[in-house]
Amino acid sequence: MGAPTSLKQKFLKKWIMGLQICGSSKKEMGILERKKAIKLAADVAMASTRTATTCWSRALIANASKCDENKMLVEHIMGSSQSERLSVKSACMGCNKRIRSKKILGRSKSISRVKKIAPQKILANSIAKRLVKKRTQVLKSLVPGGESMDEFSLIEETLDYILSLRTQVSVMRRLANATEHSNRK
Amino acid sequence: MEGTVIRSGSAGSEEDGTEVESFQFGEEIQGLMSVPPESGSSFTALLGLPATQAMELLHSPESDEAPATLSGEARVDQCQKPYLPSFNCSPSFPSNAALVERAARFSIFAGGSGEDSPDTNSMPSNSSRVKNEPMDTDSNPTTPPPLISDPTVGNRNLKSAKRKEREKKVKGPSKKNKNVASESSEDAEKLPYVHVRARRGQATDSHSLAERARREKINARMKLLQELVPGCNRISGTALVLDEIINHVQSLQRQVEFLSMRLAAVNPRIDFNLDSLLAAESGSLMDSSMFTPLVWPEVQVNGNRQQYQQQWQYDAYNQPVWGREEDNHNFITPENSLLSYDSSANSGTSSLRVNLLKMEL
Repeated sequence: MGAPTSLKQKFLKKWIMGLQICGSSKKEMGILERKKAIKLAADVAMASTRTATTCWSRALIANASKCDENKMLVEHIMGSSQSERLSVKSACMGCNKRIRSKKILGRSKSISRVKKIAPQKILANSIAKRLVKKRTQVLKSLVPGGESMDEFSLIEETLDYILSLRTQVSVMRRLANATEHSNRK
Repeated sequence: MEGTVIRSGSAGSEEDGTEVESFQFGEEIQGLMSVPPESGSSFTALLGLPATQAMELLHSPESDEAPATLSGEARVDQCQKPYLPSFNCSPSFPSNAALVERAARFSIFAGGSGEDSPDTNSMPSNSSRVKNEPMDTDSNPTTPPPLISDPTVGNRNLKSAKRKEREKKVKGPSKKNKNVASESSEDAEKLPYVHVRARRGQATDSHSLAERARREKINARMKLLQELVPGCNRISGTALVLDEIINHVQSLQRQVEFLSMRLAAVNPRIDFNLDSLLAAESGSLMDSSMFTPLVWPEVQVNGNRQQYQQQWQYDAYNQPVWGREEDNHNFITPENSLLSYDSSANSGTSSLRVNLLKMEL
């Protein structure tokens, strides 16, 4: 993998940075807490490599910053300049309204239009549409920040999200294997 | 020249496909998303072409029927058209009225201008019929050799008669991609609209056309997604493809959860022996794919993983993914790795192993 190795390195660096912060805190953490911290650090590091270019990264970081205890970690990983840029949540809100109003407009237009299709096809079409709609709902719930996206950008975000998830998984797996191996030895 | 330009365009889009397979896609996606696509060769760029570069090329169908020399010359002539000044086409419009009117019945485009960059020649990589109708209109007043102008005038009448049948034949079954056209030479640069040709038998009102344009955009993106998600190529139908995508995303998210649990279980405190791990961090991620000695510690890692992950449910999915990733530089099957791990488990070269492992990271 020629090109994505730089992405992996960036992700790894940020992740390890975040983990160091977690590790430097003095309190005793149970395994679940540790796991949450590790996962959070990984997610934020992944999102920060894609900041300001994709919606899901912004949404993920916004969600992570909601609780105060995570906020410090998030800011450290992101770097203060980037976190200020991201704190413009109003953009996302305006985005929501715009998309909602577009949908209402589209629906009102489609009602007035009359299409001549055979009755069997209408049934098949509506069933297919319902299925697709259900699936897109599920996908929207999976991708962070997906609810406020229209179909087209949802697909683009999914593409990017899948790629980042893949690199995240591969780097985490390598680290896990390496630490386990070194521990066993 | 035109043919080669179009071929390079389609080759470019094929290249995009293979790039996707080789996982250099990440950076490309970044580029795609952050910067509006400019190269006319990628098919995703088709969707984002600004109207300023828009031009609909009408390939003259009569070039097949006309005598070889004439067709060759006509084609050469058409190739030269992009460089001709645009204002030349206006005097030729009235003579085209009949053609335009008939064309308007089948499509919404009007005669295009004759000026544009050759980039747009490569643009409709999927459409087989790229017509050069506006080019022909330019040929009359501006073409120096009179030999060509006369046959093109004669050709146009032939064209208007024969195009009707051909369009009926071809347009019915063939799928037209979105072709971007400019209405007239003067408005070409300023039009913010994207022109879509209506298919035969379909409504031509703006709503359904806009819908169809939108649907085609979405379908192109879905195709990209299909190539990305493994095992989606055979599936047809949006709902099933979406199912696969959802499964893939869910499994990836679950893997992240399991891996973070593993990491939490390995260290009692979140500390990683960073100095040794980070020693070769900058080069290691690249080295691991290039160093053949690293084949051996990869074996250890694979064997490791075998033992640990029998407890985890997602193994069945992981192994093919892992195998695929590593296959690029070591062709180890899981059975192989397990055997070799057992055999070398008792060897005394532990330090060498650890060093190589650290480099791997």
